[in-house]
Amino acid sequence: MAANVNSEPGCWKVPEVFKHHEQHKACFSRPKYRDGRRAKAVKVFTINLESRYVMIQGVPAIGVMEELIQLCALYGTVEEYRPLDEYPAEEFTEVYLVKFQKLTSARAAKRNMDEKSFYGGVLHVCYVPEYESVEDTKLKLQDRRSYVLKVARSRAFPHQAEFWLQIIQSSIVTKQARLQASAIVPDSLYCLYPPQEYFHQDYRGNEPTEDQMGTLHDAVPPDVKQQKVQNFSSFSKDPNSEKKLASNPDSSVKFVPRTAHLEKNKRRKMEEATKQPVPDSGEPSLIGPKLPEPHKLDMNDQSLNTTVNLIRGTMKQVTSVPDLKPAEKKVKPRRRI
Amino acid sequence: MMKRNFSPETSDRFEYLQALVTEFQDTDSEEAKEQVLANLANFAYDPKNTEYLRQLQVTDLFLDMLTEKNENFIEFGMGGLCNLSMDPDCRDLILDSDGISLITNCLSNQREETVLSAITTLMNLVTPASRSQLTEPGILQCMLRFSLAESPRLHNLAAVFLQDCCTEDQVRQAEQQMQGQQMAVGIPLPKD
Repeated sequence: MAANVNSEPGCWKVPEVFKHHEQHKACFSRPKYRDGRRAKAVKVFTINLESRYVMIQGVPAIGVMEELIQLCALYGTVEEYRPLDEYPAEEFTEVYLVKFQKLTSARAAKRNMDEKSFYGGVLHVCYVPEYESVEDTKLKLQDRRSYVLKVARSRAFPHQAEFWLQIIQSSIVTKQARLQASAIVPDSLYCLYPPQEYFHQDYRGNEPTEDQMGTLHDAVPPDVKQQKVQNFSSFSKDPNSEKKLASNPDSSVKFVPRTAHLEKNKRRKMEEATKQPVPDSGEPSLIGPKLPEPHKLDMNDQSLNTTVNLIRGTMKQVTSVPDLKPAEKKVKPRRRI
Repeated sequence: MMKRNFSPETSDRFEYLQALVTEFQDTDSEEAKEQVLANLANFAYDPKNTEYLRQLQVTDLFLDMLTEKNENFIEFGMGGLCNLSMDPDCRDLILDSDGISLITNCLSNQREETVLSAITTLMNLVTPASRSQLTEPGILQCMLRFSLAESPRLHNLAAVFLQDCCTEDQVRQAEQQMQGQQMAVGIPLPKD
């Protein structure tokens, strides 16, 4: 967890260096059948790590902000951006914060720009969800939930899904039909609709795939591939190494049903439970971490009594002073001119 | 049971996921288990894999990880549940396996990612039947404490939980209970 610095609202506060900004080391010990095309660290992505806000590090400090933002705009509308001067950066490089209109655009930008060379430097792109507001987070979760439910529904009713898919993908859809479709499938979901994944060995095509490690964070909207990158002389992409998915040579893979393992685990847990005494559950146990407790006073501490005694002494003195006589008024002689 | 589409792509996908689960169960290497667990949790992010993962009982596998000692197992397992729990069928499976108490324990975890995944998963598990358990005072007080945390992601998620999963009255009651638990220290006045 990062150290506490700032509690100001808004996305333009002083940045903190969080653990999820750091690039983890790539893992090279994977067996071939589950080794991806690109070296990747062992990390799990959830909706909490993704965001419309991305941070781009390693941008050469040669006045190429405009070019950077133009590059970002290839992947979707950029709502806001600014340099993060306060963020620790390598020498001669700058760091930028970019806010995309859509999460899928941020995903595409991360996928395509991370670890890519740019005007002599190497970009590092990461999500920065800490810049979200509460409303941003809520909308992100809602969009995600809608998308998952939509896929679940289309799984249950595949013909309906195919029907809507045709409407969505058809280039001669009338405006009315689109409005009708959007009443059920909101616009935001078009962008969340994942590209087709191919798990087949003879895959050919321009659309990106889910890699063997499951990361769909390579997802790119189909439009992007058709756009040309111009005037980026130093921007180069690594050649697409079309490493085909290694097929599992042994198709009859042994599969031990999990039920056997579950039974074993349950038995183990029951044995452990019988060995340990059950704690007395008189009061409800505290869930989650505690806040730092206020400093507890030791009521037997003599220093407390010192203060009390002083106060009592002073009060006694005040009450024991005799009544004062009213001050006599001295009469001043009149000045005679 | 739903009829699976037996195209080459889907059977390859299922077999691949099956191979991953088998490797996880058979290998003794902790490192390999972590890698496979992370793979499965990432596959769980794509709802197209949900049905296969459910058939392979990966939901239970992730739940099992929550009681392991290896912190990576817990974090990856919790991430996998966070990804799967948005699907209604997986959500019901987690609820049936007493997932709420296991996930609630993760709210005390030292790793922020684990806690964030736990909060999101609890939100995903809200149904008319489970709402009362998910909004019991202990959990609400925990969320109130999180909403005061310095970490932006943590206080945002906790705020969303309090807004979306419980009523204002419940939040107010939880706040009052929290205040009532604080001790007031006073010095007795002198007696005449």
